[in-house]
Amino acid sequence: MSRKLLHHGFRAFTALCALLACSILGWLIFAIARRGWPAISWQFFTEQIRLVGASGGIFYNLIGTGILLLTAFITSSPMALSLALLHGVYLREGRWKRALETLLYVINGMPSIVCGIFGLIVFVQFLGWGKSWLSGGFLLGIIMLPTVTVALMERIASLPVRYVEAATGLGLRQSQIIWSIILPQSLSGLVTGSLLGLARAAGEIAPIMFTATIFAGATIPHGVKESPVLSLPYHIFILAQDSFDPSVGAKVWGTALVMIGLVFVLSLIALPARLKMHEEAHHD
Amino acid sequence: MQRRFSFTRLFSYSFSALAAGTVVAMFVLLILQSLPVWQHEGLSFLTGTKWFYRQQQFGAAPMILGTMITAFTALLLAAPLGIGAAIFTSEFLHPRLRLTVKVVIELLAGVPSVIYGLLGVLFLRNWIYDLLTPFDPLSGDTLLTGAVLLAVMILPTVMTLADDALRGVPVIQRHAARGLGLNSSEVALHIALPQSVRGLLAALLLALGRALGEAIAVFLVVGRQDNQWPYRLLSMQPLIQSGQTITTKLASSETNIAYGYPLHWAAICGLALVLMVMVAGITLISASFSRRHVP
Amino acid sequence: MIKTTFQLLLLTSFTASVVHADTLKINGSTTVNLPAAEAAEILRAEKKMDIQVDIQGGSSGGISMLGEGLVQVGMASKHVNEEDRAKFPKCEFKEIHIGEDAVALIVSADVWEGGVKSITKEQVKGIYEGATTNWKQLGGPDKRIAFFNKEPGRGTWEVFANWVYGDHKKAPQVSFPEVGGNEETRNKVASTRGALSQLSSSWADGKTVFALNIKAESGELIPPTNENIATKKYPLSRPLFLLTNGEPLGEAKTFVDFVLSERGQALVNKHGYLKLADLK
Repeated sequence: MSRKLLHHGFRAFTALCALLACSILGWLIFAIARRGWPAISWQFFTEQIRLVGASGGIFYNLIGTGILLLTAFITSSPMALSLALLHGVYLREGRWKRALETLLYVINGMPSIVCGIFGLIVFVQFLGWGKSWLSGGFLLGIIMLPTVTVALMERIASLPVRYVEAATGLGLRQSQIIWSIILPQSLSGLVTGSLLGLARAAGEIAPIMFTATIFAGATIPHGVKESPVLSLPYHIFILAQDSFDPSVGAKVWGTALVMIGLVFVLSLIALPARLKMHEEAHHD
Repeated sequence: MQRRFSFTRLFSYSFSALAAGTVVAMFVLLILQSLPVWQHEGLSFLTGTKWFYRQQQFGAAPMILGTMITAFTALLLAAPLGIGAAIFTSEFLHPRLRLTVKVVIELLAGVPSVIYGLLGVLFLRNWIYDLLTPFDPLSGDTLLTGAVLLAVMILPTVMTLADDALRGVPVIQRHAARGLGLNSSEVALHIALPQSVRGLLAALLLALGRALGEAIAVFLVVGRQDNQWPYRLLSMQPLIQSGQTITTKLASSETNIAYGYPLHWAAICGLALVLMVMVAGITLISASFSRRHVP
Repeated sequence: MIKTTFQLLLLTSFTASVVHADTLKINGSTTVNLPAAEAAEILRAEKKMDIQVDIQGGSSGGISMLGEGLVQVGMASKHVNEEDRAKFPKCEFKEIHIGEDAVALIVSADVWEGGVKSITKEQVKGIYEGATTNWKQLGGPDKRIAFFNKEPGRGTWEVFANWVYGDHKKAPQVSFPEVGGNEETRNKVASTRGALSQLSSSWADGKTVFALNIKAESGELIPPTNENIATKKYPLSRPLFLLTNGEPLGEAKTFVDFVLSERGQALVNKHGYLKLADLK
């Protein structure tokens, strides 16, 4: 009898844990949507900031975040493809393959603020770029690199061996196999991995606050040097500390709602496929 | 397959080298740029308890302690909850619902830290302040506030990785145990948990690494008070006081002020280096526990 | 898909080579930022000027970025001191006075209602140096003093330290919880019992946070009113500056002239500061 009681008790406890975790998300969305919704309108997306955030919209913040994310995607894709090819095709089991995995672990654990300081040294100090979208995009590309690479690695690992065997049988060279079979087949890994990586990069402030983004006035960058952009997360960060008007409050929450909406859309497109891929790669 | 020059191979090796080079450059640059402060302070950069940059006194110990207190407290809060929830999703939940719950958890993992910061500064600060009233805290900006916020932020990491680890236990073993008459709770407690201990440990360490490195959310709620070195090292007192962590210092106005003063700048880079070594160390230990995958 | 990505890459690298020269960059004090950012908006709309405004590092950030030539106009709520000039010998800092602001010592509602309505310089010193830790010692409620210090580099802090110690460099090193922006300061003081902090007086709304009167040695109570600030009777006031390297030229001059014009001065007033005309 007590065995059964324990069983039900334990199951209830774990269910409670899961419920609590899920309800945090529910509360979070509710809290933000309730305050942010009134600020959302068409003009909120199409106008630029006015009156230090109290009025106008977040047009150039969206554009800036878009530019940063596009740059991050362009930076991370070739690196992720290369690392995944090295891992899945070129390297044999052994020291170098383990080193590559370790590298991914280290990048994944890298505190984003340290990336920011690194960017400040390299781009602002050594290269003299001042604040530039390119520095920010590159740093965000590094931040999202592990997510993209692992998605690609898992995808490549799950490709049926007979594809490669058949191609080898046809006398194709290794690089031909890569271009005609492995890469097209693993494109879905790149897409889902990148979407998740971008969702993570979109909300990062620490890498870009010293290197790429300013509070007001930046529009479309015209060059590399001294070409900052506005961004969504930095806007929230500054207004959370410095606003001078109650009407700013609604705008902050509105921006937060847009921010979270962007992240969720990116994640939701990718997640079902990504989770399935992950399951297949690890649990049969 | 014959080995001859291949553009694809060159491409793969050079871009991989770029990724690896960036990480190496990060370490090297931070070491080089922080040299002046090591020459100036020596090891007392790590052990000194006073940070007064106008007097050129740079002791990082209170910040290192603050970082560890917040991160470990966060882990202490998130671990039971996350592992409990993972046991539910991996052992009890119907497979079709599993995916839904995992999507929710992944979404939670994707919430930007500035959003947590915003919610922290407007709600959590006040809740913790009210909650701690019996202990008479000076304000709601405490290490505990930062830790609770971090716990929520690392919860998805703990949960996802713990779920992976638990699911890594072979189905055959579960079936065998069920065949012996154990119910699913007993399978979870006596078979799945012990079998996946290494994976769970790896999950917790990775989450700890994430907690150590988070900056923006903690920044807004921790109080940013320098030189908080407790009288007794193992007391609970620091938790309900304001404090400073390495990340909040790096995100503060001092990084801008230091830029241009070699020694002060070196101290900032030294802090970044210490943080990076701490996190990289934990990440590597975690990796050695479980070589399965990165989240 | 790969092809479009490649085209985009080409496109970005092409536009990257076109250097855009006449962007006016402004950085510095969050206090000066309010009228300056609004002035920039007007100029952007009316004269199609390209102006970027940022508020990194407060006044010190403005001074050092102007000193390094990263911006053309700095914003500061404090004087450029000798140390700054020595650090950037190549920069000929020119201070352009655009208005005046006062730093108020603000307290939370429970302190105000508990009877603490004024404070002397000696009392402030006691709190800052940790000798005074309870409002009871100042005739208020029995509540510990939760002092939030403005973070280093902020003009507000220097005005405060200059008043208490004559020179902010003589201020002792202390460690209190730090606050940065004005909203953060107001929010944290308002939601903490027994709180005290320094804040631009235009933010002291008298509803959530309350500005203490300064009690002079004669015993007179001096509130931070416009009149008292204009006559310098209220001791914690500070000038607001735009900074340029030498005489302002070109776009920078257009900007400076606009802020000094009647419309620009109206903006200064709108954000709660005293315009130049009020000071005479």
